[in-house]
Amino acid sequence: MTLFSQIIQYAISGITSGSIYAVIGICWSLVYLITKVLNFTTGEFVMLGGMLTWGFRGAGFGLVPSVLFAITCTILISMILERIAIRPVRFPSEMTYMMITIAAASVIKGVVLLGWGSETRTIPAFFGTEVIHLFGATMTSQILCVLGLLVIVTLGLSLFLNRTLFGKALRASAINVTGASLMGIDISRFRFFCFGLAGGLGAITGIVITPITFTGYEVGMLTGLKGLVAAIVGGWTMTGTMVAALMLGLFEGFGAGFISAGLKDVFSLLVMILFLIFRTMDLALWRGSVMR
Amino acid sequence: MNGRPRQKLLWLILITVIVAIPFVAGSYVVGVMCFVAIFGGLALGMGLLLEQAGMFSLAHPTWFGLGGYVSGILAVRGIAPPWLGSIFGAVFVGIISYIIGAPLLRLKGYYLACATFGLLLIVEITMGQLGTLTGGNEGLMGIPPLSVGGLVLETDVHYYYLSWVLCLGCLWFLYNLMDSRMGRAIKSFNDSEVAARSMGINVPWYKLKVFILTAVMASMIGSVYTFYLRFTQPSIFGFPLLVELVTMIIIGGGKTLYGPLLGAFVVMWLREAIHLSLGGLLPRMSAQVDALFFGLIIIVILIFMPGGLSGWIDRFLYFGRQVFGRTDG
Amino acid sequence: MAERTDDILLHVRGLSKHFGGIKAVDEVTCAIKNRSIISMIGPNGAGKSTFINVVSGIYSPDAGKVYFQGEEITGVPAYEIAAKGIGRTFQLEELFGSLSVLENVMVGCHTGGRSDVLACGLSLPSARSEERRVRGEAMECLKEVGLEQRAHDPISRLPLGERKLVGVARALGMKPRLLMLDEPAGGRAAHEVEKLVRLIYTLRDQGITVFIVEHNMPFVMSLSERVIVLDEGRKIAEGTPDEVRTSEEVIKAYLGEEV
Repeated sequence: MTLFSQIIQYAISGITSGSIYAVIGICWSLVYLITKVLNFTTGEFVMLGGMLTWGFRGAGFGLVPSVLFAITCTILISMILERIAIRPVRFPSEMTYMMITIAAASVIKGVVLLGWGSETRTIPAFFGTEVIHLFGATMTSQILCVLGLLVIVTLGLSLFLNRTLFGKALRASAINVTGASLMGIDISRFRFFCFGLAGGLGAITGIVITPITFTGYEVGMLTGLKGLVAAIVGGWTMTGTMVAALMLGLFEGFGAGFISAGLKDVFSLLVMILFLIFRTMDLALWRGSVMR
Repeated sequence: MNGRPRQKLLWLILITVIVAIPFVAGSYVVGVMCFVAIFGGLALGMGLLLEQAGMFSLAHPTWFGLGGYVSGILAVRGIAPPWLGSIFGAVFVGIISYIIGAPLLRLKGYYLACATFGLLLIVEITMGQLGTLTGGNEGLMGIPPLSVGGLVLETDVHYYYLSWVLCLGCLWFLYNLMDSRMGRAIKSFNDSEVAARSMGINVPWYKLKVFILTAVMASMIGSVYTFYLRFTQPSIFGFPLLVELVTMIIIGGGKTLYGPLLGAFVVMWLREAIHLSLGGLLPRMSAQVDALFFGLIIIVILIFMPGGLSGWIDRFLYFGRQVFGRTDG
Repeated sequence: MAERTDDILLHVRGLSKHFGGIKAVDEVTCAIKNRSIISMIGPNGAGKSTFINVVSGIYSPDAGKVYFQGEEITGVPAYEIAAKGIGRTFQLEELFGSLSVLENVMVGCHTGGRSDVLACGLSLPSARSEERRVRGEAMECLKEVGLEQRAHDPISRLPLGERKLVGVARALGMKPRLLMLDEPAGGRAAHEVEKLVRLIYTLRDQGITVFIVEHNMPFVMSLSERVIVLDEGRKIAEGTPDEVRTSEEVIKAYLGEEV
C-alpha cells in the first residue's frame, strides 16, 4: 500500500471509531447534564447491543427482529438500573453514583460472561460484505452505516431537544434543576427517560459497530471510556463531543496504524489524562488565583 | 476518642488472634487470612485516601502491580534479591507517584477518579504489551521466593506472618498519622480546603505526601504478594481488583481507619463462600465473576448501609456510651 | 500625626482583583498601623471579603502590592502568609466538622509544629511531645475566647455564636500579629457582641492588630480607631468613626443618591 492509501485507510478507521465515540459521548452527556450521574454502564449498553443481537440470532431470530429485541432489552435494562440503583440513593453525590454505576457495569459484564462465555462474537453486516475501494484503501458498507448513524442521531437529537416541548424541558432542567422542578417538571421521570434513551442509543451504536469490530463481554469498558473522553474534551456539548470524538478516533487510527496497534487504547486514555491536566492549568492561569 | 487502655487491649487481642491462627487452623484458613492481610493492607491505604483525605484516586491497584512487577523483574533476572527489589519497587513507585501526582491531584473529585482510572488501564495494558520485559499478558513467571539473610520464605505460614506484620504495621502507622498533626491537617483540608490553607497548611503538598505514602505502602504489599505467588500478570491489578478494593472499603466503612480491613475479612470469606456454594452451579469462576457479586454488594450497601459495617459498629458504640455514661479519653 | 513607616503593619497599594468582568476590589490603598483596631465597612458586595481573601493569600491580586511588616507578600500563597503572622476568620466559619473544638484550634497551631509524615506515623517522642505542647497552646487560645469547657465537643453541637468564637480561637493559634475577622458579629445577640468587643480590646492590648470587616454599625463604630469604607470595590472614605459617619460619599453609598 502506498503511503497515501495507508493514510486514507487509517483515516477511514479513525472516522469510523470516532463516529462511534461521538454517539457514546453524547450518551454520557445526555445522562450527565440532566441527572449529574456519571454513568459508567454506558459502555456496557454498547456491548449489550451487540451481544444481545448475536444472542437472539443464535436463538433463531432474523437480523431485524434481533436488533429490535436487543435495543428494547437494553433500554429496559437501563431503565431498571435507574429505578433500582440510582433512584433509591439517599445521599446522592457524584462519587456515589459513579461507584454505583461502576459496580453495575461489573454486574452486567459478569452476567454476560457467565451467560455467553468469553469468546468474541459477531453479527452479519447489514448490507453485505462487499468491499468498496477508495484511493487504494478498502472499506465495507457497514462503515457507511456507522457514519449514517452518527448523522441520524445528531440530527434527530437536535430536532428533539430544540423543537419539541419535551426536549426543551429536558434542556431547561439540565441548566437549572431547582427552577425546572418548580415549574412542575418531574426530575426523576426525566432521569428515567434519559437513562432509557442513553441505553437505546448505546445499544444501536454497539449493534452497528459489531460487524466491524466484533463484540464480547470485555468490549464495553474501553469503548465507553473513550466516549467519556470525547464528552469531557468536548465540554459536554453535542458539537464539542462530536469534534472531540472524531479527532480522538483519527488520533487513535493513525497511532494504531503507524506506531503500535496494541497501544491503541493507551493513546486515547493518555489524551484524556493530558487534557484534564491542561484544563486545570489553564483555569488556574487565567483566573490567577486559588491553586499554586 | 477511645480510651488509651481500651485501644491497647484491642490491639493485643488482635495480635494474639493473628499469631494463634496458624496453630489452630489448617492451611486453607491460613491461606485465606494471608490474602486478607494483603488486600486488607491495600484497602486500608485506599480507604484513607478516599475517605479521610477526600482524594478519589482509583490508581491504587496500579501501585500494587508496579511494585510487584519491578521487584519481580529484578529478581527473575537476578539483578537484585527479592528484598532489595521490593525496596527498589517502592522507590520506583514513590518517584512515579510523585511525578504523576503533582499535576493530577489538582483535579476535582470525579475528574481525578476518571484520570486515575485511565492510569490504571494504561499501566495494565502497557505491562501486557512490553512482552520481553514483563512476560506480556501471560505474565511473569519463575519469580524466586523472598529470602532474608539465610531464611527462605516458602510456605503459606511464612507469608501469612509477613503479610500480617506488613498489614498491621501499616495500620499502626496510619493510626498514629491520623492522630497527629499530619492527620489533623489531612482531615482539615478534606473539610474545608480554604480554611486549611489559611491555617498554614500547604494543601497540594500534603495531598501529594499522602498520595505517595499510600502508593509506597501498596507497592511493598504488591512485592510481597508477587513473591508469595511467584508469579504476576497484568490482569491481577486491573479493574476487578479495583472493584474488590472498593467493595472492601464500602462494606467495612471508610469513615474509620480499620473499616477497610474489616471489609477485607468479610469480602475474602464471602468470596470463598460464593465459590464453594456456587462454584459447581456456574460455568466459570474468575475474578470477573467475583466482580459481579462484589458489584451487587456495592450497590446494596451504598443504598441501604452507606456507612458500612464500621459505621454500624460506631453507632452501636456511641449508643452504648450514651446509655451507660460517657468515658472520656 | 506623624506616621513612621516601621509602625505600619500592613500596607496595601493599588490592590485590584477582578473576576471575569467584575472588579471586586478596585485600586484600594490603605495602611494599617500596628496595635490598632481597624474596620472595613461597605454595602453588600462592596468587596470586603474579597479584600481579606487577597491579603490572606487565598486569591492573588491582579494588580497592586501588599506589604506586611515591611516585607512584600503580594501573590504569596495563603499557607505561607499564615506562617508570617496573619490570621483570619471566615464569614461562614469554615470550621472542620470532623474534628472536635480543641482539634480545630490545634489546626490553627499547625504552623507552630514541625512533625512530618515519618515522625507522626512512627509516633516518635519528638512528635508526641510536640503534640502535648500544641494541645496546651490550643487550650490557652480556647480560654482566651472563653470556650475551654467545650474543648472536646463536636462542632455540630455548638450554636452559631460559639462557632464563630472557635474560629477566632483557631486564628489565634497562629500567634498572629494581624488578625482579620470577617463578619465576627454577624447575627449575634447583644451580650455576645459585648463579649466580642471585650475580647478584641484584650487582643489589641496583647499587641495584636485587629482588622474587622463588618455590617453591624454600632459594633464597628464603638470599637474602631479608624474605619475604611468600600463601595463597589473602591475605597470611598477613610477616617475616624465620626469622620466616616458624616461623610457624604458614605451616606450616598449606603442610601443611594436620594439624600
